[in-house]
Parts: sequence; C-alpha cells; structure tokens
Amino acid sequence: MAETIQNLMLGFSTAFSPGNFFYAIMGCLIGTMVGVLPGVGPLAGISLLLPSTFGLDPTAGLILLAGVFYGAMYGGSTTSILMRIPGEAASVMTCIDGYAMALKGRAGPALAIAAIGSYVAGTVSVVGLMFLAPPLARFALGFGPPEYFSLLALGLLVLGYMTGGSMIKNLAMIVLGLLFGMIGIDHMSGYFRFSYGIVALGDGIGVVPVAVGLFGIAEILATAGNPLRPDVLKPKLKDLLPSRQEFRDSVFPIGRGTILGFLIGIIPGSAHIISTFMSYAVERRLSKHPEKFGKGAIEGVAGPESANNAASCGALVPMLALGVPTGPVPAVLLAALMIHGINPGPLFIKEQPTIFWGLIASMYLGNVVLLLLNLPLVGIFINFLRIPYRILYPMILMFCVIGVYAVNTSFVDVGIMSVMGLLGYILRKFNFETAPVVLGVVLAPIIEMSLRQALAMSNGSYAIFYQRPVSAVFLVSALLMILLALKPLIRKGMDWKWREQLAKADDNQ
Amino acid sequence: MKKRTWMMLAPAILAFGMLSSALLLADTYPSRPIQIIVPFPPGGVADLVARPAAAGLEKQLKQPVAVVNKPGAAGAVGMQSAAVSKPDGYTLLSALVSISVIPEVDALFGRPRTYKREDFAPIALLSADPMIVVVKKESPFKSMADIAAEAKRRPGEIMYSSSGIYGATHVPTEMWAHAAGVKMRHIPTPGGGPALTALLGGHVDILFSVPIIAYGQIKSGDLRPLAVTSDKRLAAYPDVPTLKELGYDVEYYIWCGLFAPQATPKEAIKVLRDAVRQVVATPEFKNAMEKMNTPIDYRDADEFKKFWDADAERLIKILPHIGKVQ
Repeated sequence: MAETIQNLMLGFSTAFSPGNFFYAIMGCLIGTMVGVLPGVGPLAGISLLLPSTFGLDPTAGLILLAGVFYGAMYGGSTTSILMRIPGEAASVMTCIDGYAMALKGRAGPALAIAAIGSYVAGTVSVVGLMFLAPPLARFALGFGPPEYFSLLALGLLVLGYMTGGSMIKNLAMIVLGLLFGMIGIDHMSGYFRFSYGIVALGDGIGVVPVAVGLFGIAEILATAGNPLRPDVLKPKLKDLLPSRQEFRDSVFPIGRGTILGFLIGIIPGSAHIISTFMSYAVERRLSKHPEKFGKGAIEGVAGPESANNAASCGALVPMLALGVPTGPVPAVLLAALMIHGINPGPLFIKEQPTIFWGLIASMYLGNVVLLLLNLPLVGIFINFLRIPYRILYPMILMFCVIGVYAVNTSFVDVGIMSVMGLLGYILRKFNFETAPVVLGVVLAPIIEMSLRQALAMSNGSYAIFYQRPVSAVFLVSALLMILLALKPLIRKGMDWKWREQLAKADDNQ
Repeated sequence: MKKRTWMMLAPAILAFGMLSSALLLADTYPSRPIQIIVPFPPGGVADLVARPAAAGLEKQLKQPVAVVNKPGAAGAVGMQSAAVSKPDGYTLLSALVSISVIPEVDALFGRPRTYKREDFAPIALLSADPMIVVVKKESPFKSMADIAAEAKRRPGEIMYSSSGIYGATHVPTEMWAHAAGVKMRHIPTPGGGPALTALLGGHVDILFSVPIIAYGQIKSGDLRPLAVTSDKRLAAYPDVPTLKELGYDVEYYIWCGLFAPQATPKEAIKVLRDAVRQVVATPEFKNAMEKMNTPIDYRDADEFKKFWDADAERLIKILPHIGKVQ
C-alpha cells in the first residue's frame, strides 16, 4: 500500500510536469471532439494522432493518446442525446433514452448525468487498473473462445428479452444485424462471403457506417418528413441540471455500469460497445419501471455511459499489465511505445514506473478535466438545438459523411452509411428498433469467430462449452434467463412486457 | 477604390504565380506531394517502417510525402487501390510479404485476382524481420524436435494460433509443418496481438510470432523461444537456433518494401531509388528502426526484385499444401 502511494506520488509528479499536463489536457480536448463528431471514433482519432507522438517522449505520447481514448467516451454521448446520432459506436444505446429525454426537454440533465457517470466510471476504474491490473489481466487471458461464445450467447438472450417493443420485431432485427455481420472474409477459411467482388467488403460492413446510417441519417430523413419540430428549444438554467430524483435514479446504474464495463473491457477482444448493451439490459431488468425505458429513462443513459468509460479503462489492463494488445486501440497505444524502443510485457510496470504511474495519474487528472470541460459544455451544446433545422441538418449530414469517410478513407463506407440510412428510415416508419441491428453487426463476427475457434480447439465437440467452468456458468445463466421468461406462462402474474402491452392498449383507448 | 482593385487582383496574381511555377516544374519529378499507401492500420509494421522512410524522403525530394492508411481485407484493399492508381510516381505502396500471397490465394479459390504481382514495380526493400517460435513457459516442449515428435504421435492435435488464415504467421508455421512432415491444428485469430493472447491464455500450444510482439514476454520468462526463421541467428537471441540449423529447410521473413505501380515512368523510379538509398543511410532512419527493433535490410530495385521472386516462390509452393479449408 505504502509502495502504491509512493508510486502514485511519482506518477503525479510526472503527470503534473508542464509538458505532460499539457498533453493530458490536449488528449482530453481532442478526445471530446472525436467523440462529438459522428463517425470518427476513438480508434480513428488515435490512429490519426499516432504519427504526431513520434517526436514526443513516450510518457507524453501515451498520456495524449490515452486521453483521446477515454475523452471520446465523454464526447460520444453529446450528439446521441441531442440529435439521436451516435458520436461513436459505443453511444448507440444512449441514443434511445437520451434522445427521448431531449424530446421531453431534459437534454441538459441527460448530458450532465452522462458526464458525471463517465467521471465516476473513469475514476473508479483507474483505481481498479492501479490495484488489480496484474491479477485481473492473467485471469482475463484464461477467457478463451468457448467462454467468450457462451458470454455472448447469454448477452443476446438478455437483449432479446430486455429491449422494448415487440419481442418478435426485436429478434427479427437482431437476426438482420447478424446476417449483415456475415458479409466479408470468412476468417476460418478465407472465403469471401456476400462481397460481390467488392474487395472493400472483405472486412465486412463496419459498425461505424451502420450506426451512423441507421441512427443519424435515418433521423435526418425522418425529420424532413415531420411538419412539426419537437418543442424542446428553450432550455432554462434550471433545466440544465438533473433534479434530485434524477440523481437518485442514476446512482446505482452508474455503479453497476462501472463494474460491468470494467470487467467486460478487460476481456481480450471485446468491444466496449458490448458493455453498453449489457448495461442497458441489466438496468432495464432491475428497474422498477422497465416500461419507461425507451421513453426517456435516465437509467438508460447513466448505465451505458458509465459502462463505456469503464470499459475503455478496462481495455488498458491487459495492455499495461502484460503488454498484450487485446484490441485495436490498445494495439495502437502499444505501437506508440514500441516506436520509442519500449517493449511492453509483464515487466513493463516494474521497468517503466514513470510511464505507467504517470499514465495512471494523468487519467485521474484527465477525468477531472473532462468533467470540468463537459459540464459547462452542456449549456453550450444545448444551444445547438436552437439552430434552425435547415442549417443544422445539412451540417450534420456533412459531418456524418466526412466522419465515416475518414475512418478508413473509403467511399464504400459512405455508400454503406447511405444505404443503412435509407433502411433505418423505412424501419422507423414501421416501428422497428434499430439498435438491435447495430448490435447484430457488432456481435456476428465475434460470435462466429469464437464459436468456430472453440470448435476447432475441441475438434468439433460441443462438450467444450460445458466442460470449461466459466463457460458453463454463462450457459446455465442463459438457461435461467429462458426459464425466467417463461415464468408468466406457469405462474399467474404479469411481467413488465405484459404491463407494457397493457399500457399501450390503455393509450389507444 | 484603389485598395479594392488591389484586393481583387491579389488572388489572381497569386493564382497566376502558382500556375506558372507548377508549369515550370512539370517536367522535373517530383513537383507535388507524394503519397505512400499503407494497406494496414496505423501501428503495424508496414506503417511504422513507412513513416520514418516518408520523413526521410520528404527531405530528399523537397516535397511533402504523406502516409495514407487504407486498411481492409488483410491488406488487399490498399494494395488493390495502389495497383490501379495513376502510375505517375506520386502514389507509392509500402507493402509486406503478404503482397505475394494474396494473388495466389485468389487463384486457389478460383476468383478473379485482386491484383497481380506484376502490377507493381519494386523500388526498394527496407526491412526484413524473421519469425520466432514461442511456447509458454509451462509447456512441455523444449525444442522444435519435441513438437515434431509430439505432432507425429498425435497428428492434428497440437494447436497453433495465427494472425489470420494465409496470413504472415500462418504461412511460416505451415512451411515448418511441411518440412517436418507433421500436421497441426490451426486456430486463426484476427491479428498478431490476439494470436499472442491465445498462446498466453493457454488456448493453443505454439505460435510463430513477430519478434517485437513477443519480446516483452520472452524477456519476462513467460514465453520460451525455440527457433527463429532467419538463415542466421538473431543478435537479440544468440542462444536460439535457426530452423535451418535444426535441419528444417525453412526461411521466412516479414519484410517491408516500397513499390510503385508497374507503369510508373523509369525516370521517376530512378529518382525514388536514389532518394531511398540516401534515406536508409541517414542516422534518423537507422535510429528509428533500431528503436523498433526492426532490422533494416536495404536492397535496391534489381536486387529487391530477385529477393522478392525467390521469396514468392517459397511461399507459393506451400499454398497447395495448406489448400482450402473445408
């Protein structure tokens, strides 16, 4: 403990040195911008910035890039809440209840809670990173393809049950997303699937163009068809801050989102977007009024926004503790160190205490900076809603196109975004939720890969899924979920889905 | 009034000036910015080698040289776009060893080739890095012979991970398996990092890794190196034998080279070759490569062509043995 405090002091003295402090703030600023701009996510932002860190010393470079990574999680919620356009893929869930809150004139509280939740999650998970990194990382490595597949199977089940509206429609949307996710090179055999000779489709259709298309473009198209603009445009100062009730409702979702996000973030190969879906589903399951989800429940903002911040921190655990790049963002961060001749490995924390503890301390500072930056920004961002649609929407459209193009400098991506926008518009008109489609696109390649890797490991025997304990636990939980869903059939009583249907019937009368 | 006239004239004069200078320079290559396409995301070998090279070329050629990442489909997207780009010397390609494999895999599957090897004119080889065979410290395997013996005893049971099917770590593993006359089970992953994660997590038995990715784990003792795929031992691992020493006729490098589209004018290629020769000799470039532990292996166009052809032949020979995964 004493040693940790001593190390942390070293870290703070590193982080507070003028140069490093400047780069931490720069990273947070750029990260917020990257998060706000639709399309450009943390990966694209960090990739674009990587070359500019070659001239810096490694500590400053890592502090800058990590700042962009967690800073993006703060910014991502802004456009999701105000315009229903995910600023980056991990903010898709925030679109649902965040935007519903904005329509009710509670955009300010939604933004504020997103910032506060991000701050709590960011800070708490840095503590986790500091104390638990090495043992957790070793545990996470044991998480192989069978465990991963079982976890995702459980996740899909939870979602099918938890998303609002018609279950059949939701399942159909998940399957549609999974089918979209089949496009691209089959990683096990090298075959091209459904790519029709377009080489750029080899990697499948990316989640960014799908998310921006289904949410952003579809929203713009739908608005053009609405004669009335939603009446949310004159926020008073009192409306900018969450009410006491809203604070109270957010405390536990933030706490749960933090823990869930951190744990999911550590698992090698997982995307932080998954943590937001899981958190949303968990909050809905635990809520006393699940029927409010989708209509502006603050828990639906607080949980996922905390989860994605904690997950981004969790993703750094295996990278810093073991030097293993478990995802694309940590891989770029590792490259930023390698370029300076530092080869991270299990000895990294011991050999490079200045870099490790400097980064930790800079993350504490960065989260404070981001909170101080984002809370006042709420008042500014909210004024975007005052801009007339005829000016605002062409601008958003332009940012969507530029953002999506910039990720891979690919016109094909812009095409995918446009098609998805049209599809999203049609689906909205028929009252289908589009979030499950995005989820399917994200999960399909991971589920397929882990299933087939697991079967390759077991030489085709499905026994591998229940012989490995962690995997078995997930599968048993999935089974319980199904039984739970069947309970109303056996016992008399209504679960929230019934109540939701009844409420709808009442509305119609 | 007078002021306003000037303000209107100024852009016109500026434009004329720029136009005339462009015309004057039109016959001397390079007269405008050059882009180097890297068909992989930032942070990979092709990217990390291209960037110091681009910085050096910028000084030599007195023109901006930009690195443009065009990732996708294991490099096929970027390489195809470079193959069909305007052959004027202003679009170059920084590619890895996989440039030889992709067209052959296309042929194996009977699909139209994404590009052909002949679409590219080599400018220079910049780096070549062998692979290192690693196992976990708890592994019973102490040598390549142990693995070969066990794989003979239990054919298809020993598992190895790779950065992707037909990818940079899959091919050398199969080259060794073919040379040793054994069959192993392949667990592809989406990249070099995940492949290492699979080994460290104990989900597979061995991995042919790029040395720099495994370096930290070898140093900490978590991974045990068994062999390298170069023809000479590596300076960083003097005790690790080469596969050739062990009696397996396998030589494999992840190399990175600079290419131009085939029809690029000879004069432009000459300028580029001279510039690259200057760049690789600069302390800045040497320093950058040394920091990344990536050995410089500079070869000029003709020599590079010979190296490339021989290398491609070795790789192409193994593909029918891997065959299609059913």
